[in-house]
Amino acid sequence: MAIATEQKPIELILARSLLDSLSTPGCLIDLEGTLVYYNEAVGKLAGISFEETGAMPTAQWSETFGPFDEQGRRIPFDEHPLTLAVRDGRAGHYVQRFRSADGNDFQVAVSAIPLVGTTGFEGALVFFWPARSQ
Amino acid sequence: MKIRIWGARGSIPAPGPRTARYGGNTSCVQVTLSDGSVLVLDAGSGIRDLGPTCADAERIHILLTHLHLDHIQGLLFFAPFFQPETKIVIWGPPSPGRSLRDRIARYLSAPLSPIEIRSLPAKVSFRECPADEWEIGPARIRAAPVSHRGPTLGFRISEGAASLCYLPDHEPALGVPLADGDPAWISGFALAERCSLLLHDCQYTDEEYPARVGWGHSRLSDTLLFARRSEAERVLLFHHDPLHTDAELDLLQRRAGEHWVALGGPPGELAMAIEGSEIQLRADGARHADDPRLARS
Repeated sequence: MAIATEQKPIELILARSLLDSLSTPGCLIDLEGTLVYYNEAVGKLAGISFEETGAMPTAQWSETFGPFDEQGRRIPFDEHPLTLAVRDGRAGHYVQRFRSADGNDFQVAVSAIPLVGTTGFEGALVFFWPARSQ
Repeated sequence: MKIRIWGARGSIPAPGPRTARYGGNTSCVQVTLSDGSVLVLDAGSGIRDLGPTCADAERIHILLTHLHLDHIQGLLFFAPFFQPETKIVIWGPPSPGRSLRDRIARYLSAPLSPIEIRSLPAKVSFRECPADEWEIGPARIRAAPVSHRGPTLGFRISEGAASLCYLPDHEPALGVPLADGDPAWISGFALAERCSLLLHDCQYTDEEYPARVGWGHSRLSDTLLFARRSEAERVLLFHHDPLHTDAELDLLQRRAGEHWVALGGPPGELAMAIEGSEIQLRADGARHADDPRLARS
């Protein structure tokens, strides 16, 4: 019998389990930039739960949530400092603005960590923290 | 494809009269393909008894799911390692740090072992399992990392319409809702999906599991749910806890049968793995008569 399921990498499966156990807002981005999961704490920030949105391709979540710079300009995913850092195998930290599903803008600090499995780069684990003024 | 169980016990060998019926040897399963190729799944203590039976094999493939001791402790006692003309290929999980050979050499070297790998007379080679499917003889082999402690693989071996999925150490329910979760997010699902035969970890009863969550093994109800969700055609419960006696495994089997039927599982397609038992899967998908020693639920 043929295999029909496109299995997620074990690194993403285990990271999702971790996120489910955390009160810290966190999400998972896969190799293609798809938002494959976010936890309940992110759902509170974003004003919409993962159960409601499901996985979102880059264009869709960028259009919905941002991110935006301090001048309110949308930051393209491929040019985002965190995307560049993670694709380079580094962790990154950045303060930016997001827009919730109900249209409220808010500032948040974001940490992104590359997930590298035994077969290579699988995506990124992203955490959100309250932004502190410098 | 002929499958023979040489060891179905988990964690540590459990010899003695109280475990004699299901067997006390740790994980080892022989798969003989239609062209006579021999694959050995894991090298627990069961591999010692397998050794003399494949003295004539020119090449043997040993596929290791992971390197926990109960899956490699029989290596040094596998007779073909001491036959100079035998070629043995050891496959195992990749690691970002050390090579497969170096990792196994930590066990096959002083002070744990009197003989080192380089002293073995056979022609031994080591290969890390690729991410993509590969072929051994007439079989296609697929390996994928699964939920267990440390780098651990599950295997799916297919020949024609027959497919064996081997997940001896697996805790797919860890943080994942097996009953209604998206299959893409369930560890091992694609390996097991609609396979002809699933050998799956069932180390704990449901009562034992809460004190052992995260140890990398499954309780009965999760194993059965995983099997039903993945639509495995037949299931052998594997990796018996070393503390479980034959009488306790009999009880587990009865409970498994009731639970299996309650989940809509086809009657007669669930059994406990028993050391020494055999199952044949025909490449055309037809069924052979079962080994009478398999106590089916």
